[in-house]
Amino acid sequence: MTKKEKKSFNQSLAEWKRFIYNPTSGEFLGRTAKSWGLILLFYLVFYVFLAALFTFTMWVMLQTLNDEVPKYRDQIPSPGLTVYPKPLSALEYTFSASDPESYREYVEDLKSFLKPYTLEEQKNLTDCHVGGVLFEQNGPTYTACQFPVSLLEACSGLNDPSFGYAQGNPCILVKMNRIIGLKPQGTPRIECIPKEENVAAISTYPNNGTIDLKYFPYYGKKLHVGYLQPLVAAQVIFPANSTKQEVTVECKIDGSPNLKSQDDRDKFLGRVAFKVTAHA
Amino acid sequence: MGLGGKKGTVTPHERSPSPRPKRRLKPTQKKQVKRKKRRKDLEELKKEVVLDDHKLTLEQLSAKYSVDLTKGHTPERARELLIQNGPNMLTPPPSTPKWVKFCKQLFGGFSLLLWTGSILCFVAYGIQVYFKEESSKDNLYLGIVLAIVVFITGCFSYYQEAKSSKIMESFKNMVPQKAMVIRGGEKMQIHVEDVVLGDLVEVKGGDRIPADLRLISAQGCKVDNSSLTGESEPQSRSPDFTHENPLETRNICFFSTNCVEGTARGIVIATGDSTVMGRIASLTSGLAVGQTPIAAEIEHFIHLITMVAVFLGVTFFGLSLILGYSWLEAVIFLIGIIVANVPEGLLATVTVCLTLTAKRMARKNCLVKNLEAVETLGSTSTICSDKTGTLTQNRMTVAHLWFDRTVYAADTSEDQIGKTFAKGSDSWFILARIAGLCNRADFKADQEDIPIAKRSTTGDASESALLKFIEQTHSSVKEMREKSPKVAEIPFNSTNKYQVSIHLREDSSQTHVLMMKGAPERILEFCSTFLLNGQEYPMDNDMREAFQNAYLELGSLGERVLGFCFLNLPSTYSKGFPFNTDEINFPMDNLCFVGLISMIDPPRAAVPDAVSKCRSAGIKVIMVTGDHPITAKAIAKGVGIISEGHETAEDVAARLNIPVKQVDPRDVKAIVVHGSELKDMSSEQLDHILQNHAEIVFARTSPQQKLIIVEGCQRLGAIVAVTGDGVNDSPALKKADIGIAMGITGSDVSKQAADMILLDDNFASIVTGVEEGRLIFDNLKKSIAYTLTSNIPEITPFLLFIILGIPLPLGTVTILCIDLGTDMVPAISLAYESAESDIMKRLPRNPKTENLVNKRLIGMAYGQIGMIQALAGFFTYFVILAENGFKPFDLLGIRLEWEDRYLNDMEDSYGQQWTYEQRKVVEFTCHTAFFASIVVVQWADLIICKTRRNSVFQQGMKNKVLIFGLLEETFLAALLSYTPGMDLALRMYPLKITWWLCAVPYSILIFVYDEIRKLLIRQRPGCWLERETYY
Repeated sequence: MTKKEKKSFNQSLAEWKRFIYNPTSGEFLGRTAKSWGLILLFYLVFYVFLAALFTFTMWVMLQTLNDEVPKYRDQIPSPGLTVYPKPLSALEYTFSASDPESYREYVEDLKSFLKPYTLEEQKNLTDCHVGGVLFEQNGPTYTACQFPVSLLEACSGLNDPSFGYAQGNPCILVKMNRIIGLKPQGTPRIECIPKEENVAAISTYPNNGTIDLKYFPYYGKKLHVGYLQPLVAAQVIFPANSTKQEVTVECKIDGSPNLKSQDDRDKFLGRVAFKVTAHA
Repeated sequence: MGLGGKKGTVTPHERSPSPRPKRRLKPTQKKQVKRKKRRKDLEELKKEVVLDDHKLTLEQLSAKYSVDLTKGHTPERARELLIQNGPNMLTPPPSTPKWVKFCKQLFGGFSLLLWTGSILCFVAYGIQVYFKEESSKDNLYLGIVLAIVVFITGCFSYYQEAKSSKIMESFKNMVPQKAMVIRGGEKMQIHVEDVVLGDLVEVKGGDRIPADLRLISAQGCKVDNSSLTGESEPQSRSPDFTHENPLETRNICFFSTNCVEGTARGIVIATGDSTVMGRIASLTSGLAVGQTPIAAEIEHFIHLITMVAVFLGVTFFGLSLILGYSWLEAVIFLIGIIVANVPEGLLATVTVCLTLTAKRMARKNCLVKNLEAVETLGSTSTICSDKTGTLTQNRMTVAHLWFDRTVYAADTSEDQIGKTFAKGSDSWFILARIAGLCNRADFKADQEDIPIAKRSTTGDASESALLKFIEQTHSSVKEMREKSPKVAEIPFNSTNKYQVSIHLREDSSQTHVLMMKGAPERILEFCSTFLLNGQEYPMDNDMREAFQNAYLELGSLGERVLGFCFLNLPSTYSKGFPFNTDEINFPMDNLCFVGLISMIDPPRAAVPDAVSKCRSAGIKVIMVTGDHPITAKAIAKGVGIISEGHETAEDVAARLNIPVKQVDPRDVKAIVVHGSELKDMSSEQLDHILQNHAEIVFARTSPQQKLIIVEGCQRLGAIVAVTGDGVNDSPALKKADIGIAMGITGSDVSKQAADMILLDDNFASIVTGVEEGRLIFDNLKKSIAYTLTSNIPEITPFLLFIILGIPLPLGTVTILCIDLGTDMVPAISLAYESAESDIMKRLPRNPKTENLVNKRLIGMAYGQIGMIQALAGFFTYFVILAENGFKPFDLLGIRLEWEDRYLNDMEDSYGQQWTYEQRKVVEFTCHTAFFASIVVVQWADLIICKTRRNSVFQQGMKNKVLIFGLLEETFLAALLSYTPGMDLALRMYPLKITWWLCAVPYSILIFVYDEIRKLLIRQRPGCWLERETYY
């Protein structure tokens, strides 16, 4: 009969027990010990073989790679922009000038980020006097240019250890992502504009937000030891009598035709927007 | 309805005094009681028919139905009765409403799995939305897509079934039937539905009997009961009570049988559902139908896949908790893994494969009403076949002739291309003239274009057979009759058992010839001479013995034998003599015996071959017929159901001259079981017969017994196919795993009950059906193996994403592109694969052990091929990431940073910094490449899935659809990757050519591995490898 007879609960329980261990045939989960042994051995051998094969193909693939430069760089033709201090959630900086605790983390983050830029750390780097041109090198050793932190002026932290937060004029560092071999054309600079007019003024350091070409191209982590990427600081200066201490700032790369700052999907490609809220 | 008169099945007090339906209940009774009653009714319906009206005298009858036997009911009374008892029609089987059918398609079997997946997706999405404000909508989309897939597939299979049921409806005869009743002394034509109990009805040749009738008068009335009892010969009807059994007695005519000739008048004793026919029809519609084998297989498959899914899900749920994921994340992972195990495209694939086979079968004249029944024939291990109309042509045909002391075989094939016999003999000339002239049958008009054998005739079956035979083998009967006009005639009746006609002689002698035909022993009594090669010799004992032998020989073949003789009347009875057939005024003795002609309803030409094919395919063919055992046995021998050399116990006893009881049962392979024996058998005894005999014929069986036989076979674990055309077959058709009705001769009730219809009524089509059914089972296996394999490369990315914390290698969209895109056509193309070996030479599959999807298939697909495929995908993935700057070891544990939208300067292995979107583009490129790799390894998988045992080099690449499938999936993959705008629509990105090649070594590995595996399996049958990996 094709019709199913209803099994009682006890019956099915007994069936399950028999499936887990069948004392008459010595079967455990439907197989005898020998059968389990064989099948496990088979899969062991099979998987060991597969693992070996996979390892081999991976090894071959790794052999074809260059340690210094990735094979393809077409996925990152243009750098993204990122800001420091790193906000905890989204891109919003909220602090109160009168409460040091509210911006302590920002300051610490900036300090640790700027650590490689201290004079102490940079003393092994070359002081590239010539500015405004690409610093192309042919190896085998590559030198990295110094980026004196003093270029950031008010945001260098040298004079004001609170990076302006204590005055209610916070500094935000803007950084262009490293991309191996990237040669910006023209005179790239970072331009920061507040979205709402008359709410706040933005000062950028180095002056005009210029990014010196002497820091390009980048030759990669392995060759270009100690490389420091140029930074631009943006200081949001709220008017003293302003009631609304809140502004959205958009920074983007300008002045270089081959660095994109407009992409529908990628909101960080050549630009970055952040919101600063300063309480009294 | 055996021969025995006593019905031990129903105790007398249960017999209802009137044939009013017992099932009708007062509406006040509670529903529960009703249901119980219904079940009891069904049991009761399975019992034999109880009727006693045939035993009543006419007076009693008149009193019982309070009707005047000459004038009938008054119209008023008739109207009352009509309101009281309802119209005289069969209640149509409760037809399932269309929306219920549609819902069955939507929520049955496989769909359930997809619905569960879909719901789980929505649950996961709901959890995500509830606990985190922003989350990917992947789960939502996946849920919607799953629902859409089920919905579309459901619509598709509903449409398919609706199409075949439309063909079904076209079979229905829409012509309203009329009946002649006498009411208030006046004859009137009324609709059959308006006939009421006790109505006085008149029927004549050609009419359909409007209700169950007890005859009160009849003139030469014959009825064709074949649709009810399966007897191929028309039965004569008279008002006499001749048998205890209502089905055997002469004075009852049954609803919806046909009156062949003569006229009769009778009282309606049952109408509508309470008629014998109605009881069978209700029995049929009341039967519960079991699950189809393929549905059982799919259920088993769902169990397996669910087990794997739940096992994986729970394992990784635990693992992710150990790895420190939150409960919420772990639950999302759990659902994700379970859903990822659902083969989204498989439902559609299976449906399309079955549809394709159904179409192919329809082209070969097998119309399948229910898609799932497509495969059932392939699993069939027993066929219970009706005889009349299925195995035979349902047309009496001259089979043998005996004249000049020699038996000649006539050609009984449908198209009359065959052997001939001694047509040169003068005896044949005379025999042919008698057969043609002493014959009341005639062709109906306007049939000149139709082959003689197919023309319809008036008159009784044997006379028609003679008519056609003479027309075919001798000359035009019409001319013959014109030349020798009939001057007098004594028609056949059951007491005389002969028929006489007197004709003017063809020559100009103006004398007459008397011709006679009839039961051979009666004919011989009239004869004093016999004809040998055209010369008359006096009858001697030698001749009598020869006659006896011939008569016995033909009779034992199950044929109906007629004797022929003639007498040239002397010139005293020349033209103009007033022959009086009532008071015979002419000589009717000392006739000259000419010969015998025997007739049978011959087997269809293609049947013996089909039966032997079934047998070599391991299918037991059982004949179940309502006809007589001798005829049944003869036909069974003729078509090979009882094969040559196999004897029944009776045969052995006769040969060895010992009593039947002493026959060693081991010698007996064949058995003919009479319905009356069957009636007294317990189910154990029946099982014993079914188990111990290879060749079985059931004769004189009632519809109920057919049902019992089918149930017996099913009890023994067989998957039973039943073929039949009559109403009497319909309960068995319904109960069978697959009921096969005849499209041309089949009754509506049988077609309703069947799952499949043979449009050409040819039993041989069943063989085609079996072949197609077995092929699709094999091919579905391959198709499922192919589809399931890609599940592993689809799941493992997610698992490693959880465990190793690497960027997700394959996304939901790409998984759907595989399951519902590239995998679809190749999987379907496997349905077109030809068989690996002769599938008709192997035994039917054992439904208990040979499953559609078994552990071995899962092991192969998931454990072996799937793993290689997954490695291919991961290799491509690592290659792309490494070539773009992310080396494999730097990827481990990178997940959280990688997924952080606000981390836009993520450093790669070379010190470059990536924005979120930039690395996502790389990730999606990886998805695309992983997808492309799966396509590449699925090439190899498709080729290895073509065969389960043979090498591809043996099988060849003749499957054009499969080649198309290979090209199509590649083209589709390229299209998805390279079409501009795909990055926006599906987030699929163009790939570098080298990335396509990463999977090629793995593809080759799959092919080589499987070829070696199959080689080993072929070389060492039964080896461990076969036991563990041959699916």
